[in-house]
Amino acid sequence: MITFSRVSLIYPHSTTTVIEDLSFEIVEGEMVLVMGHTGSGKSSLLRLINGLVPHHTGGILGGEIIVDGKSTRTTKPGELAGIVGIVGQNPLDTFVADTVEEELAFGMESLNFPHDVMRKRVEEALDQVGLTSHRNRTIATLSGGEQQRLAIASALVMHPKVLVLDEPTSALDPVASEEILAILHRLVHDLSVTVVLAEHRLERVIGYVDRILLIEGNGSTSIGSPAEILKKTDLVPPIVRLTRALSLDEVGTSTREVRRLTENLRNELPESTRPLFTPGETLLALEKVSLTYGSNIALDEVSVEIKTGEITALMGRNGAGKSSLIKCAVGILKPVTGSVTILGEDIATLSPQRRSQIIGYIPQEPGDLLYLTTVQEECNRADRDNLVPSGTTLALLHSTLPTIAATNHPRDLSEGERLALVLAIVLSGSPKILILDEPTRGLDYEAKNRLMRELHLRAREYGIAILMATHDVEIVAEVADRTIFLADGEKVADGSTLDVLLASPAFAPQVAKVMSPRPWLTVADVLRSQESSR
Amino acid sequence: MLKPFHPLTFWALFTALAVGVIASGNALCAIAVIGGSAFIVFRRREEGPWRDSFKWSLIAGALLISIRAITGILIGVPRIGRTLFTLPRITLPTWLPGIRVGGDVTWERLSSSLHEGLMIATVIALFGAANSVTSPHKLLRVMPSKVYQLAVTLTIATSVFPQLISSIHRIRQAQLLRSGKKPRIATIAIPLLEESLERAVHLAESMEARGFGQSKRQSRYRPIHYSLNDLTVITGGISLAIAMVVL
Repeated sequence: MITFSRVSLIYPHSTTTVIEDLSFEIVEGEMVLVMGHTGSGKSSLLRLINGLVPHHTGGILGGEIIVDGKSTRTTKPGELAGIVGIVGQNPLDTFVADTVEEELAFGMESLNFPHDVMRKRVEEALDQVGLTSHRNRTIATLSGGEQQRLAIASALVMHPKVLVLDEPTSALDPVASEEILAILHRLVHDLSVTVVLAEHRLERVIGYVDRILLIEGNGSTSIGSPAEILKKTDLVPPIVRLTRALSLDEVGTSTREVRRLTENLRNELPESTRPLFTPGETLLALEKVSLTYGSNIALDEVSVEIKTGEITALMGRNGAGKSSLIKCAVGILKPVTGSVTILGEDIATLSPQRRSQIIGYIPQEPGDLLYLTTVQEECNRADRDNLVPSGTTLALLHSTLPTIAATNHPRDLSEGERLALVLAIVLSGSPKILILDEPTRGLDYEAKNRLMRELHLRAREYGIAILMATHDVEIVAEVADRTIFLADGEKVADGSTLDVLLASPAFAPQVAKVMSPRPWLTVADVLRSQESSR
Repeated sequence: MLKPFHPLTFWALFTALAVGVIASGNALCAIAVIGGSAFIVFRRREEGPWRDSFKWSLIAGALLISIRAITGILIGVPRIGRTLFTLPRITLPTWLPGIRVGGDVTWERLSSSLHEGLMIATVIALFGAANSVTSPHKLLRVMPSKVYQLAVTLTIATSVFPQLISSIHRIRQAQLLRSGKKPRIATIAIPLLEESLERAVHLAESMEARGFGQSKRQSRYRPIHYSLNDLTVITGGISLAIAMVVL
């Protein structure tokens, strides 16, 4: 279905090739995962498939790409509209119309499809993604998961033979991402659609894919079965780290498989629970905070305390009120009723300067904070803003990420590097509280590990209180001491991470699923038990 | 849910009313028309970033009336009538005859300035009202096929613009928390520009990948037809306009 023969790609005004001498073949009805570090050229590779690269972006293409018998060199992306459907990273950016039905019809209207065909295909697509009851809804009112499903449906109406998705679940909670993957699975198995997707959170997709295309840092690529590829890379999901740590012969990719491999272990290992952390004094307290948007209740009498040295995770489905709570905690939004106190003072009475000294805030888009032309300048600016000796911020940045060049433009950094820069800028002011909104979006495992190490260090060594809203159960399992669960604006759970994550099957991390009913969330938990048995 | 009208219906209604008000030049008519359209907007405005257009057009109108009144009082050709109060007069050079700055302010002057202001404000308010009750996306979809390309270009603009406003707010808040100082325009503009460009490129790519512009003719999924209701509203508007002029 898709053949790459000796493909190389170089963008204009660039000296390095994005892709070099890449050959592979994907057959009909196959589901292929493209993986690699951030900035390794995954998005470029995906967009090569329908010719958006280089027709739309510019660049020099070497070699030949044949999709369903057509060469992308001579065929424009528009002419491939009926063969390749593409779903971008942010579905909201790609919507053209106001309502669900109009959005679905857009592609078919462009190609002058007869009316009866359009009606039939819109119905089909709505059924395939389960949006039938939302047909007349305004797109802006859909949840994140529903928008992603709509984006997939508007590709499906064209009856494509190939569906290309760039990080389809990165903005979604675990439940919504399961729904998306189930839809893709059905398309592959029932309709023999060929699916190519890129994703960083391998734990979510690894059970579904047939083959993996790995792009390595040095530009070399390899393609093979998940077990083959995962043997030779560091970018592995927790389940593979578990099989490695336990020195099992096979690399298991599904929970079922690894459960079978570890049956004896599960029964034999002695009881051991992760040590509980005793936090210090309360630094930030939200008391019975309520917030409404028009007639929607965003938060309903939620009380939260953030304490010295403790890492608290805030979880819940898309639209459960996580971002609203974060915004109340940093003082961007004023709650309708209830109070927010920082170090015993009402947040509303604090001056903006004092507030920014006490609270470090990393927004969902870290790039919002960056506006200078080099990393060096950003760091100098932060030194001056935070009244610290010159060079402090850069030193801090280099301590977490030694490879970053100070002359780089912040815009050219990868997501992981940009987050490290923003984290250094915020932390150089030595805030007492650090608040992060969805920090792991778009991060590869390496960048995520770096973030986790830094958070752990800051909490334990410097006594910073950390509050982090996230969909990523794996990072919660690794670093969070306490987990708060929101649903529909109400707090439904608040307790140790162990208790909260084990109580909710949908939000359980991979290792917990494998080791159930034993109370272990991470590879470290399992090893601790193994250690104690010796 | 209220039964939808043809997207052009309200534009036709408000245009007819605007013509009527201007042609009759009656201040009472103008105020009645603004009141009537406020009711229509209240009942029928659409969910979307443009729903507050009417409110903003009223604010713009009020601003315009006050500017017109102030300049009318200060500058202009003298008018004889009842003097309300007298302002100090600035003497202009002789080569500017007939124009005065300051001096006597008469009741007639003030009322005619306010009257002119009100007429312009009414037109602006009616334009805002039409915008509030009709989604620009829907309006563009009923445009003839010849201007479809232009229509879709405008679609990009109208969908990126409202997102801009929420982005500005988001970036400003985040930067305020970074330094504790009010961010300057330039520091907001850079991340904003980056984000909007990226959005526009994504939207253009998505349209291209979905075959936009491939076919000379485009079909319509939901062709919109005129109904009896539309006809009633438009006829009503035109008769009202005629009534205003004649009576």
